[in-house]
Amino acid sequence: MAKKKKNVPKAQGRHNSNGQGRGDTQLHIPNSPQRTYTIVDHRLEKPSFTIRQIRKGDEVCYEVTGDLTAPVPPIHESKYLDKKQCLEIYRWMLLNRKMETALENLYKQGKVVGGVYFGLGQEACSCASAYALHKDDWLGPMIRNQGSLLVRGFSARDIMMQYMAKAGSPTKGRDASSHFGDIERRNVVAPISTLGDLIPVLAGVALGARLQGRDIAVMTYIGDGGQSTGVTYEGLNFAAVQDLGLVLFVENNLWGYSTPADMQFRVKDLAERAIAYGIPGVIVDGTDACQIYDAAHEACERARLGEGPTLIEAKMMRMKGHAIHDAAEYVPKPLVEYWRKRDPIARFEKYLLGKKWLTPQENEKLIADVERELEADRDFAVASPMPEPESAAGGVYCDSSCHEIKPKYAVPKVRVAKSGVATPRQTAVHLK
Amino acid sequence: MAQLTYLEAIRQGIWEEMERDPSVFCIGEDIGIYGGAFKVTDGFIDRFGPERVVDTPIAESAIVGAAFGASLTGMRPVAEFQFMDFIGCAFNQIVNMVAKAHYRWGAPAPLVIRGPSGGNVHGGPFHSQNPEAWFVHAPGLKVVCPASAHDAKGLIKAAIRDNNPVIFFEHKYLYRRIKEEVPVEDYVVPLGKARVAREGRDVSVITYAAMVHVALEAAEILAKEGTELEVVDLRTISPLDREAIAQTVRKTNKVIVLHEDVRTGGIAGEIAAIINEEAFDDLDGPIVRITAQDSPVPFSPPQEEYFLPKLSDVMREVRRLKAY
Repeated sequence: MAKKKKNVPKAQGRHNSNGQGRGDTQLHIPNSPQRTYTIVDHRLEKPSFTIRQIRKGDEVCYEVTGDLTAPVPPIHESKYLDKKQCLEIYRWMLLNRKMETALENLYKQGKVVGGVYFGLGQEACSCASAYALHKDDWLGPMIRNQGSLLVRGFSARDIMMQYMAKAGSPTKGRDASSHFGDIERRNVVAPISTLGDLIPVLAGVALGARLQGRDIAVMTYIGDGGQSTGVTYEGLNFAAVQDLGLVLFVENNLWGYSTPADMQFRVKDLAERAIAYGIPGVIVDGTDACQIYDAAHEACERARLGEGPTLIEAKMMRMKGHAIHDAAEYVPKPLVEYWRKRDPIARFEKYLLGKKWLTPQENEKLIADVERELEADRDFAVASPMPEPESAAGGVYCDSSCHEIKPKYAVPKVRVAKSGVATPRQTAVHLK
Repeated sequence: MAQLTYLEAIRQGIWEEMERDPSVFCIGEDIGIYGGAFKVTDGFIDRFGPERVVDTPIAESAIVGAAFGASLTGMRPVAEFQFMDFIGCAFNQIVNMVAKAHYRWGAPAPLVIRGPSGGNVHGGPFHSQNPEAWFVHAPGLKVVCPASAHDAKGLIKAAIRDNNPVIFFEHKYLYRRIKEEVPVEDYVVPLGKARVAREGRDVSVITYAAMVHVALEAAEILAKEGTELEVVDLRTISPLDREAIAQTVRKTNKVIVLHEDVRTGGIAGEIAAIINEEAFDDLDGPIVRITAQDSPVPFSPPQEEYFLPKLSDVMREVRRLKAY
């Protein structure tokens, strides 16, 4: 059921984020006719720190400065989630985390082909965001959003088979990790390795749906590193200008491989970028599943009402390296400690136990349940065969027998206008 | 039948497909009220409405990406590039996102990317290129280069109906310079099939786009001196019609490959390799390439004339090869 559009609250705080407490960020342009923009900030804490390259003796390394002593805030109550939904999200997050642990073990046993990518510390973002999607909406996951693939209906065994390059993987061995999708049932667009490219594609999905009479939500992600690319700009701007229902989660996990966020952009918060596109910008705590869900829910509702894109900046940290080979020793230890205390699963578990929505026994049972499911998926994936070499051939082109292409939602309504096949006006053209 | 220019034929082809299939729509820069920089979509927005004729910001990556996204929902977008020279701006989307989609995750991309390419219009380096070879090189794409109004209409229809991504290069020199009889009823020219534009027995010229007309002009002159040139118009350059290529070599035993694209890495090399594979024993002389020189397209008319393959090049090479 569509919720009434929430009015953007009036800005309260000044532009500083050292303090505790809520309040939206108001941005001013000094010495000019006053323009005021509001970025909605749902966080219960607003840490301020900087990561800089400094020389320490013979070495150049990263140093973090800022206040990292604040206590971990509680989970923000959700406006929309009930107990059942919270427990489901919690389960997805557990499945996400434990699946990645299983993948790591498989890697260490030499069963994985290539590398493994982890979303450790980002499970709330992946799972709670995708949880807000409806059946007809679409998802475009990035490499660390494997949890979103689970929420959307893929199984842990699908992802494991991808990593192990098995014949039964969703891409039949032809691509790795999260590079798979489903245009028929689960509405997932497969990512490619270059960053930002999903953004115009998801915008196009919304465009296609609109031409069929539907306003849907299309959700995708981009990192603090990935958002530096030109195609990010082009895609988001296109969605904004066309009022397409793009829900973009900018996952600011502070590291783009080995490059800290402070070396990717000059703005204080990536949500400020929304101003440049003319769309609402929202900041949430990326380790708080309730904040993630609420922002996703509101953005999806806007999208389904045809009100256009929303940029949601989720702040968190990538808790492992870029990929399994990367020990990420370049990350300053105080930062790791700060974010380790904010583990999204530990926080949510504490929240659920505190609300008595989960008893310790139920929690144990849930965890055991998830582990059992993963065990079965793992065994299945390990036992499944590698592809035959010849299976590399074929499928480069779609011939008339492999796919029947027709509009997914409805045959587009064609307007019949009176103008005929007139001869074009003989106006001047660029080059004769 | 109607007398149509090459441009008008393309326009009609797209128009007819939009009438026939509600999933077809156009997307690109200035294609709406302005009707397109070359007026290919003139009148479309009045007829089909702004929903199906989408004017975009200047963002080629977004044009291609959005077209691909729409195709995932079962639409058939026709994406216009104002000049195909700008295709570089969307290169990653085309070769990485679109071309690989069916192979790696089973998602067909039934989109057409079309626009004006080619020189001889004093356009300079960024309005005269022949970028087709870059896309022939990407498995998963189809690349089409019509040379006649009849084929342009039939091929754009076929391209729109094809489930694969088709890059459709319209030679801008031909837009208003050629006019021919084109059937009014619905017809398609199949992708991947060459045509023999002129039959001959002495030397074959395998070519496409504007150079077909240069070859035909040469054929007229050479016929008077008793040399019969066979001109094979490839029409589709990916996938290439290997059989047609082999057949003409078997027939004349002497072959020239002619294209307006630059020499190195142009598809004449690919065609020469195919001839080597399919009809080596039928060759009575080396495979000759006539191409533009390896440089950007120069702007000043006398320089551009020097750059482009000329009628005199064809005459000279035919005579030389015939005497081999």
